[in-house]
Amino acid sequence: MSNLAYAAPQRPARPEAPQPRHIEVAPTRSQRRSRPKVFYALVTVGALFALFMAQLLLSIVLADGAYQISGLRVEQRDLSRQEQALGEELDLLKSPQNLAKTAESLGMVISSDTPMFLRLSDGKVLGSAGAAGDGSKLVGGKSFVPNALLSGLATAGSASAGAATAADTPDQEPDSGAPSIEKPASNVASTPGTLPSPVTR
Amino acid sequence: MDNSRKTRRRIAASILGILLVVGLFVGRLVDIQVVRAEELNTESLGKRSITVTDYAARGSIVDTNGVVLAGSVDRYDITASPRVIESTFARKVVDGKKTTTIKVPFAQGVAELAEATGESEEDVRAALTADPTSNHAYIAKKKTLKVLLAVQALKIPWVYSEVVPSRTYPNGAVAANLVGFMGKDGAQTGLELTQDSCLSNTNGSSVYERGSDGVRIPGSTVTTKASKAGGTLKLTVDSDFNYYVQQVVGKRAKELGADWATAVVVRVEDAHLMAVVDYPTVDPNNLNAAKRGALGSLAFSTPYEPGSTMKPLTAASLIDAGKITQTTHVVTPGRLAVEGGGSIKDSFVHGTINYTTGGVITNSSNIGISLLSKKLGVDDRRDYLLKFGLDQKTAVGFNGESGGDVPETSRWDNITKYAISFGQGMTTTSAQVASAYQALGNDGVRLPLTLVEGCEMPDGTVTELPDTEGVRVVSESAAKQTVQMMENVVTQGWLSADLKIPGYRVAAKTGTAQIEEKGVYGDDYVISVAGMVPAENPEYVVVLTFGKPDTIKSSSAAAPTFTKIMTQLIKTFKVTPSTKPAPNIPQTW
Repeated sequence: MSNLAYAAPQRPARPEAPQPRHIEVAPTRSQRRSRPKVFYALVTVGALFALFMAQLLLSIVLADGAYQISGLRVEQRDLSRQEQALGEELDLLKSPQNLAKTAESLGMVISSDTPMFLRLSDGKVLGSAGAAGDGSKLVGGKSFVPNALLSGLATAGSASAGAATAADTPDQEPDSGAPSIEKPASNVASTPGTLPSPVTR
Repeated sequence: MDNSRKTRRRIAASILGILLVVGLFVGRLVDIQVVRAEELNTESLGKRSITVTDYAARGSIVDTNGVVLAGSVDRYDITASPRVIESTFARKVVDGKKTTTIKVPFAQGVAELAEATGESEEDVRAALTADPTSNHAYIAKKKTLKVLLAVQALKIPWVYSEVVPSRTYPNGAVAANLVGFMGKDGAQTGLELTQDSCLSNTNGSSVYERGSDGVRIPGSTVTTKASKAGGTLKLTVDSDFNYYVQQVVGKRAKELGADWATAVVVRVEDAHLMAVVDYPTVDPNNLNAAKRGALGSLAFSTPYEPGSTMKPLTAASLIDAGKITQTTHVVTPGRLAVEGGGSIKDSFVHGTINYTTGGVITNSSNIGISLLSKKLGVDDRRDYLLKFGLDQKTAVGFNGESGGDVPETSRWDNITKYAISFGQGMTTTSAQVASAYQALGNDGVRLPLTLVEGCEMPDGTVTELPDTEGVRVVSESAAKQTVQMMENVVTQGWLSADLKIPGYRVAAKTGTAQIEEKGVYGDDYVISVAGMVPAENPEYVVVLTFGKPDTIKSSSAAAPTFTKIMTQLIKTFKVTPSTKPAPNIPQTW
């Protein structure tokens, strides 16, 4: 007969651990994979940062461009004003009053009185040669087509003009600004003789 | 348990942080919107949106070759703000490498301004001191760019400038009678007025935002009103040729002591006007010197009794009606008695001459043409004159144009019945005579007289295109026969030496018309010459008229100028020389 009354020796109750043990839940692989990754967070923030930087840079460039535009606008305005002023001067120089005055101051004559025509088909010269008469000066110091704007213009004609005689200016239209042209000492012959006929081939 | 506390703490901390930041913003907001509101509002006023005028130019008027007769330019008003004027102003003076700031006294500023603008010192000083509290005073008006740059170079802080769009007429008086001119309230006369719808511009406006240093904030410009530039008006006249005609006509008119003169040159094939000249005329750049009656175009506005230049029209009508030919016999006495009193006389005393129609035209016999005109009824005769374009305005519709007067046949007394055949007792303008002669030159078809080629809008569309439908006045044969008779005036008439041009066949008719004053024909005349070249196939018509000449009172005075114009015309437009000689129509029988 065994000793059934043998009581197992009682172990003393395990003492409580002095500090709670750090328990970690070991995640499974799938759980680990589903955890948000730092990399993605960094990428997102970085992208946002880059966007902000880009916007900042763009607005800096825009503002700088605005200053450039402002400066160029002023330049363009000044240049186009100059262009307009020069165009005005050019139109004045092109005006027939100025051209006629300058031409006559150089001694040129007009051939309305004794026109001569060269017929190319047979080389025949029509008309009679003659010295340039009274009608050969279109203006001759008396301009009947005034242009007050020319008075502000310094032209080649004014340099060679002789004594401006007040008697020359017609009383109806003031020959404003155009000093009278000195008449040449002798009439200029328009042709020495007949014009040579061209030899047509 | 701890975790939840930690979480709560973190949440609390972040909420606190957010509240802090929000609080900061709210505080700043309150500061700006409530505390500093007044100060900031006043500062920003006027610095936010700036409204700016977008100027668009008024359209220019150009001739057939594009030469500018009237153009738009910028001029500048020099203004000042008297409110900010002080006794001195600062100016930077650069002396080699050193830049010093000196104080310039007000008086010196005034003197410099006066020199730069060309105004007198007293005027400038008066303008600046008139109202010391005002913000705007004019120192000089409508100055050129040169003056503006000179003023800006002075760098006076209380001087500003304004742009004033203005008009310039670079060719002065050339075609000024047609172009007209502008005044303070806009176009005053001429084409500037009648074609204003083509030429006028509308200034637009746009709004932009400006930073505190005056630079436009990019992307902030908004056009509130689109600007519209005016269209370019193209005329048919040739400005160089017009200048020539203007000069020779003016010269001759002065020599003759004429009160007025006109010259109209028309191209036959399309009735385009090459030149329309009036004397006296105006220089639009010097309106103060203009005479009152010289501001428009007499060629369109002033009718007169044309005289013998109407004889070819009578002859053409009679030939077309089949009543006469070039060689119809006319026994022409020295005097034609009229029923009820009065008589018709010729310009020269003669006995009875046996003229043909050709002879009547060449010698300009009033009696001869009166006898011929009896062959056609008065109503038919008047109808022909109306078909020639008389008694109505031309198609040009010029500002102030007159249609002349061919009286109703019921008002023709016995003298008028004869007189109308030689151009007295009726009135026409030079433009109408030119149009009638264009019909004769164009084989009897009268085209609408045209001055405007078109109006080219900025977007390229062309408006105001002329009408081209013609009116058959007389048959081709009648017109050609009449031109041949007119040619004999040049080859055989008494002014032959003055009217001939070597190498070219010219057809012409002279006229010396009496002027009626207070019901009586006096001692003054309107002399004219009307003709075309080349006679075998007319290309151009010239009508030249001098009103009330003092020195020479017959049309012989106008003949040399007519020939000058013809010669210049031939040179300018390269008219082909004639190859066949003129026909000789028997003048007497």
